Amino acid sequence: MYINRVNTKILPVEFKYFAPKTVSEAASILNRYGEEVRILAGGTDLLVKVKQRLIEPKYILNVKGIEELRFIEDRSGEIGVGAATKLSELVGSEIIKEKLPVLHEAAEAVGSVQIRNMGTIGGNLCNASPASDLAPPLLVLNTSVKAYSSSGERVIPLEKFFLGPGETVLKPDELLVEIKIPCPPEGTGMSFLKVARTSMDLAKANVAVAIKLDGNTVKLCRIAMGSVAPTPIRLFQTEKILLGSEFTDGKIERAVQTASEEIKPITDIRSTAEYRREVSKVLVRRALKKAYERVKEGEING
Amino acid sequence: MAKKVFSVIGKRTWRKDGVAKVTGKIKFTHDISLPNMLYGRVLKSPYPHARVRSIDVSEAEKIGAICLTFKETPKVKYNERLVSVPEATYKDRTVLTDKPLYVGEPVAAVAAETEEKAQRALELIKVEYETLEPLMDPEEAMKPGKPLLHESVVVADRVVKVENNVACKLEISEGNIEKGFGEADVVVEREYKTNRRYHLQLETKTVICKPEIDGGVTVWCTTQSIHNTRILLHQIFGIPLSKINVKKAALGGSFGSSIQTNTIVPICVALALKARRPVKLVYSREEDMHDHCCYQVILRLKLGAKRNGLLTAGEMHVIVDIGGHQIQAYPLLGCMAGWWVSLYKIPNLKYKGIAVYTNKVPSCAMRGFGNPQVTWAVETLMDELAEKISMDPLEFKLKNYVGLGDIFWGQGPTVKSVITSCGVEEILRKGAEMVGWNKRGEPREKRGRVRRGIGMARGFHTSGAGGPLAGQTVDYSGATVKVNEDGTIDYLTALMDCGQGDYDTHAKIIAEELGVPLRNINVVLTDTRSTVYDVCTHASRATYVGGAAALKAAREVKGKLLEYASRVLDVNPNALKIKPDEETGQGVIYIEGVPGKSLTIGELASLARHKNWGTFAATVSLRQVKCPPHFTGYFVEVEVDTETGVVKPLRIVAGADIGTVINPGLAEGQMHGGFAMGLSMALHEDTPYNPESGDLTNKGFITDYKVPTAADMVDVEDFKVFFVDTHEPTGPFGAKGIGEGATNPVAAAVVNAIYNAIGVRFYELPITPEKIVKALREKEGK
Repeated sequence: MYINRVNTKILPVEFKYFAPKTVSEAASILNRYGEEVRILAGGTDLLVKVKQRLIEPKYILNVKGIEELRFIEDRSGEIGVGAATKLSELVGSEIIKEKLPVLHEAAEAVGSVQIRNMGTIGGNLCNASPASDLAPPLLVLNTSVKAYSSSGERVIPLEKFFLGPGETVLKPDELLVEIKIPCPPEGTGMSFLKVARTSMDLAKANVAVAIKLDGNTVKLCRIAMGSVAPTPIRLFQTEKILLGSEFTDGKIERAVQTASEEIKPITDIRSTAEYRREVSKVLVRRALKKAYERVKEGEING
Repeated sequence: MAKKVFSVIGKRTWRKDGVAKVTGKIKFTHDISLPNMLYGRVLKSPYPHARVRSIDVSEAEKIGAICLTFKETPKVKYNERLVSVPEATYKDRTVLTDKPLYVGEPVAAVAAETEEKAQRALELIKVEYETLEPLMDPEEAMKPGKPLLHESVVVADRVVKVENNVACKLEISEGNIEKGFGEADVVVEREYKTNRRYHLQLETKTVICKPEIDGGVTVWCTTQSIHNTRILLHQIFGIPLSKINVKKAALGGSFGSSIQTNTIVPICVALALKARRPVKLVYSREEDMHDHCCYQVILRLKLGAKRNGLLTAGEMHVIVDIGGHQIQAYPLLGCMAGWWVSLYKIPNLKYKGIAVYTNKVPSCAMRGFGNPQVTWAVETLMDELAEKISMDPLEFKLKNYVGLGDIFWGQGPTVKSVITSCGVEEILRKGAEMVGWNKRGEPREKRGRVRRGIGMARGFHTSGAGGPLAGQTVDYSGATVKVNEDGTIDYLTALMDCGQGDYDTHAKIIAEELGVPLRNINVVLTDTRSTVYDVCTHASRATYVGGAAALKAAREVKGKLLEYASRVLDVNPNALKIKPDEETGQGVIYIEGVPGKSLTIGELASLARHKNWGTFAATVSLRQVKCPPHFTGYFVEVEVDTETGVVKPLRIVAGADIGTVINPGLAEGQMHGGFAMGLSMALHEDTPYNPESGDLTNKGFITDYKVPTAADMVDVEDFKVFFVDTHEPTGPFGAKGIGEGATNPVAAAVVNAIYNAIGVRFYELPITPEKIVKALREKEGK
């Protein structure tokens, strides 16, 4: 009888709250309590889930006070972002704006100012929403993430990170600490597009594209979409159509058709499977063309 | 008539409550807490139609909660809206019920020391339900043999049997429609279905009740009428009116959702009386969305016209899906007829309205009270008719509109009056020029994946619900104006400002009449004890009716001031005038052309105290014998992305005739807000039901109830508002209302603009991108 249990106002669940200052402290708490701990990295999803009683955690571990998880670093060839970096910090970062403009655009598309002031990049990824706006651009950037636990750390390609809605490969004792984003090669054109009910909404569908050309031949092509499958996905089949061939309208249309077959959209409260399939074609087509224009602009300006 | 020069009316000034609001310091009912206060929670039915077999609160009581079930609350049948006379008020509900008629209907309540504890107690209540067949479709519900949601209702103390779940009906006919349609060269008939919108007012329903030692209660609550709240509590609990005090707090918006006393108010009173302690009850957003919504209608409209552009006949058939209870279904049926016949002159007409019970959240008035629904149908059908007779829709509308000297149905067939001010033609002519109406092009000329279209619709709303006869609607207001000993003014009104700035409007009217600086008017946060009756802030009446009461009181006070000043200054009172004086910060009483002979209101009031003349004050009660329509017209340019189906507004020209403009900034704000709401009606909002659970598909979560944000609106520079120069002779300083007229024609204008862009008409709201893409594919397929 959810009607008498679920709301977004009252939090009638009792839990123990931790707010460690270091990653190692956080890891030892995770090590001790394992699956009974939930990590608070913004709370815009976690608190809603608790109020909706989808989860009733015994322990909540707030990682936003861990200073070493809040950074944006330009390391030649790679941008490192701390997992507890706020979305508004991503939006405001000159490094991101200059080196990874597509991530800047996507971060700006998330929720509202208030949401971006609370939410973090790590929280957004670990929430593993199929509709994440950050995931598609990070996927086309070949991002990997670093997880830390008391027994050590490991680096996971983002492509292998998501398992299903709300599920990731992280183990109960692991904490996501860093997002490692390789800078795209010189001359790469990128784009991000999103369709939603209003400007403050989860995507009905979103897409990110990265392409690089040699003359008019596609040398690099990565396409990722959100909200059209149980997880954010790379469209490998679609990419193959374009890779190594000329960037022509005919090829784009073949790619668009493949994309609509490669995705697995469903009907939910935000939209229908039919519309998602239809609009995905439009998004992929427009995103490819936009990325191509940016390649050309780069050639002129560069 | 010579143009009057005003000192504060029409000037751009700071809102009196502006600083308190933007700094978060103003107190809404949400912000009030009392010593020793408990927190309440309501147990709601998880089924759309059920009977409670048993209810067990023992576990909840064990953790210390005060519990209340339908067994303990008064059995009085009531209707929570007391705006109509008893003969037009259909009573069908009680405080708590053992036969819930929608998912979310309250069956029990608890109170405890904290809200969290109250919530846990709520979860310990055990209820056994017998589920009954839910009726989720009004046309199904009307079929013979379906279970009755209500066996009977009470109307003016008479028990009236309910047949086929028809809550009430109304039929009207004038002239001869067979003859009328026979004379027509073109007849168009369409069926329209509107969305079931939720008000999404900022402040969710809230109430605090403090039981008093004398057996009475003090109540703060989200309401548009403190006096009607008091009368309803008296009807339910039998407490003398003198022992019930309903106090004002700032109201965080309402859009009609608190015309009636909110469902949780009597529940909270019953809880507090049982607990003998103050209780606060705040609905969560999800509960609020399970509490009220707008009237959803299926509307069949048929209009006939001659090739010369004159309408000959019209027939309208409305089925209203009211949900589990009736709040004002009967007045709505009358008003919808009124909105229809007051748009265009239809010599032969027939109207039939039926309101039907279904197992859904009860509907109530929402900004326009059926007018946005009717205007959407009429204003889009008029465009279709115009196209068929090859006439510009604007000219067609100007040829047929109800205007100056015509009869206006301000509140259905029982509230009629003659129109004495009208700026329709100027709105349409000027708006057309500003938007470039003649350059809009035809849908078939438009190409490309993104297409632009311009649409226009006009409308109106009543200003108040007054009329020459008593009618079926209660409509009068009251005011107290008193001069303090330093020349400042206290103004007391029972009328609620829902957030739109009515107190500023009234303060300006009083300042203008008394000739005092605006800042000297103090609007008192009143209660039912300190005020005379005002019916309710609805029907866009706060300026025209409430403002007129304020003016009447100010005028009486002014008469007294001048009378006493004339003695002090030793002149005829008729020779005296008052004007605001910046130097003294006072209203100064003076004689034109005679310098030196003057005194400030403060000096006079102070003198009156020392000479024991008494206080300069007046309390009045006022009935307006008209409810003049305020007129609006919207020209909307949209861009339709034919591939994604996304509609984006680009440019708005909005014209209005609201008589004298008292607060230009707030009036423009009404047009902006009215547009946002109308746009949202056209494109976004709905609360569909899950056929399996009988609950809202979104379960009440705002995440899945989308309205446009500021980022979705047009740039402010592309939103042009203009007010035409009119003067309503019966309004305070010539003013009329604006709040509802500001939204009524918007959805129609947006829909006409979409048609102009892509050549497709839609008859079901909202028009989502999914529908547009589908329709365009079907069109291409042909």
